[in-house]
Amino acid sequence: MSTAIDQQVETFQEQFKRVREEVSKVIVGYEEIIDGVIMSMLAGGHVLLEGVPGLGKTKLVSTLSDVMRLKFSRIQFTPDLMPADITGTNVVQEDAMGEKFLEFQPGPIFSNIVLADEVNRATPKTQSALLEAMEERSVTVGKRTHKLDSPFFVLATQNPLEMEGTYPLPEAQLDRFFLKLKVDYPTKDSLHTILNRTTKNKEPEVNRVLGQGEVLDMRKTVRAVPIARPVQDYAIRITLATHPRPPFALPMTYKYVRYGSSPRGAQALVIGGKIRALLKNRVHVSCDDVRAVAYGALRHRILLNFEGEAERVDTDTIIKGILESTPEPN
Amino acid sequence: MSDREIIIAWLKRVERRIRTNRLFRELTFGSTLFFIFPLGLKAWDLFSPFRARTLTIFFTLWAVGFGAYLVWRLLQKGTIGQAAASVDTKAELHDEIKTALWFIDNPRSSEWVDTQIRRAARDAQAINLDRLYPRNVPRTSYLAVAMILVFVALNFVPLSWNHNWLTLQAAPAFTLTDKEQAILELTKELLIRAEKLQQSELAKRLEDIIQKLEEGKIDPSQAAELLEDIQNQLGEGNLDLGSINDGLEEIAKDLQQFEKTRATANALMEKELQIAADELRKLAEQLQKNESSKELEQSLQQASENSRPGLEDLTKDLKEAAENLKNRDQQNAQDALQQAAQELEKLQQKMEAQQLKNLAGQQLQSLEQSLRQRQQNGQQSRKDQQQGQPQSAQGEKGQAEQGDSEGSSQQSSLGEEGQADQLSRLPGEAGAAQPGSNEGSGLNPSGQRGGNAPREGAPTELDVKLQAEKLAGMKDQGTKPEDIEEASKQERSRLDYRNVKSELSPAQKDLLNQDRIPWEYRPLIKNYFQAIRPTPGGGGPAGHQQNSSSSRPVGPTPTDKK
Repeated sequence: MSTAIDQQVETFQEQFKRVREEVSKVIVGYEEIIDGVIMSMLAGGHVLLEGVPGLGKTKLVSTLSDVMRLKFSRIQFTPDLMPADITGTNVVQEDAMGEKFLEFQPGPIFSNIVLADEVNRATPKTQSALLEAMEERSVTVGKRTHKLDSPFFVLATQNPLEMEGTYPLPEAQLDRFFLKLKVDYPTKDSLHTILNRTTKNKEPEVNRVLGQGEVLDMRKTVRAVPIARPVQDYAIRITLATHPRPPFALPMTYKYVRYGSSPRGAQALVIGGKIRALLKNRVHVSCDDVRAVAYGALRHRILLNFEGEAERVDTDTIIKGILESTPEPN
Repeated sequence: MSDREIIIAWLKRVERRIRTNRLFRELTFGSTLFFIFPLGLKAWDLFSPFRARTLTIFFTLWAVGFGAYLVWRLLQKGTIGQAAASVDTKAELHDEIKTALWFIDNPRSSEWVDTQIRRAARDAQAINLDRLYPRNVPRTSYLAVAMILVFVALNFVPLSWNHNWLTLQAAPAFTLTDKEQAILELTKELLIRAEKLQQSELAKRLEDIIQKLEEGKIDPSQAAELLEDIQNQLGEGNLDLGSINDGLEEIAKDLQQFEKTRATANALMEKELQIAADELRKLAEQLQKNESSKELEQSLQQASENSRPGLEDLTKDLKEAAENLKNRDQQNAQDALQQAAQELEKLQQKMEAQQLKNLAGQQLQSLEQSLRQRQQNGQQSRKDQQQGQPQSAQGEKGQAEQGDSEGSSQQSSLGEEGQADQLSRLPGEAGAAQPGSNEGSGLNPSGQRGGNAPREGAPTELDVKLQAEKLAGMKDQGTKPEDIEEASKQERSRLDYRNVKSELSPAQKDLLNQDRIPWEYRPLIKNYFQAIRPTPGGGGPAGHQQNSSSSRPVGPTPTDKK
């Protein structure tokens, strides 16, 4: 017997699958990254993509915008980029009577999908222009606050190698990203596919399969998935274990971590778990779902101390230790 | 049935199945662990048998521990929450049942929750419980069964010293040596034969004492005391056999004067009382023929005047017969002679019983001494062990082994006559020991038999040569023991003992003078103190200088007496 909920879940899976398939026409070998990006969008969060140049990060985002019937804008972050270049500014205009007035000219941030390319190349002042937009979904210019369209989804990329002349993102801004996804080099088979698709006259075309309303409906579906208290407790214990404080901290956390995840990390675990549960045709969140999103949700929320930085400790290693040592609820 | 009820009922089934499997696994594992102890103990028992008390304590503790373990495991019940977690893991349901159970326990109005519970119920019903939690026999159960079989088999190992615990047998607390056993058997036989004559129950008492000793209810010293009581009882009401023999000889002499009573007299002289009684009866029959009886009357009259303790009835009957003959009352005289014959038979029985008792008393004394000696040696062994000296005695086997190791000394203390020969010398048989000749078979310190000095056993039969000792106060260096004895007995010491300065400290003297030190250990203790005394040069213990003294034969010497 199929209920409305079952149909809702089925629809969610179908829409998600369609988006994934369309993006996969262009982006090859990054299924997890594609899923993570779509999940972040459906969760109402933002994504920070980290990878060396040329791996298709920008292409992924632009393809996603093509697949979805949403407004897309791209901002190339450079050291001389000013906040107004992102948010927009008031411009003096003249009306028919010849009177001058200030009119707000929205910047590229006023889109549904914003690609912040090489976000760490802009100055902190410019980077912080994204802060309000990412969290409040609004932009304040002068005395006026301008609401952003929903859904609002920022996809930032950064290059982990060329650190000279870059400005690492402040912790506050990092915390606002729902997931941080690491884009690794594609495999040999994936490279074959990439070459086959991109070295011919005809490039793959994608269809627009998801509109604004559908994305918002999918977001509602995600939020409706129930989570049992023990599983939620498991997510909380994992989050608390990232802090170098008792009672959940590991010896490794004490040694290498200066500051752990904020509550946003726990939110990311739960919402990401809900989306994953729906994708697995379940209407409940399991501990497996929480674990599956833990790396993306927590790796940018853990700040290493001096010792951790000196020993080049990867936060993924710490998360792995936490996941292994945090028992599931009975 | 609602989805919620389906889930709860199913989880209860799962919990029962998990509990059953867990109990089976844990109980077999626990049994395996617990059976290691009795199995190990039984294996140990094959080398060093355990006493019943030890086994009782062990098995009581073992049973309590095992019972507590069983109760502990049986009372340990799982929850349906744990069952749900187990099912989620085993069936890879990704916390579906666990989540459903939580929503059942924490109900909320939501279509999503209802859907979740419905899906969980559906998935639960689809699970084959027998496949998810099969009933299998854990490997440890085979091991447990094997251990039980080995344990049973060990109880039936055909070794003479092996005891079958399954039939509630255990090593006795005290084991009699072969010699002691022989003495016991002989004593029992003697007592039984004596009892047939006197209706006492001493044999049964003796058996009870030995049984208690073997069961560990009494120790050897207590057993020795009880044996001493039996000896005392045996001594009660003893006949003065010497006096009786003398009296019988006197009667025989009187009866020899008359021709017709000469056969009776001869039998009495030979202490053949049964024959004498028969002769008297013949004499009584002859009286019926109204033969002249004047000489007989006189003879009987004289014989009846030899009354003494133990012979009162006999002399009374003889006197009565004489008087009846004098009164020409043949019939009563005849009856009196018959009575006298009966008295002789009774006397015969009494004397035989007396001899048997004496022999049994001798054996009991030997047994008592043997037990006391073993008790003493056991105490000494324990003392030595406390002082860290190596001992051959070990653990439970201690007493029994002590008995074995003391076999030679006991054998010598029992005398060399051979216990088996004793039976062939019972009263009424050729070569029977004379009553009242019990002087003890041990030796006194001077090596002579008998006396009241404590016995220390017979001299060794080994081919050894004792070192001659130079005694102070003797001119020559005496090479023969006789020289030493003569010097001690006949010559007065030329040294004034009052001027001999003792090398012992007051504390050492006090120790030596304590009554509780057995006399045979005094030379040993003295040697010890002499060995550890400071040398004249202020050095350490005399050590090697005194070693030669340790080879001296144990026993007081003239210097010891000083």
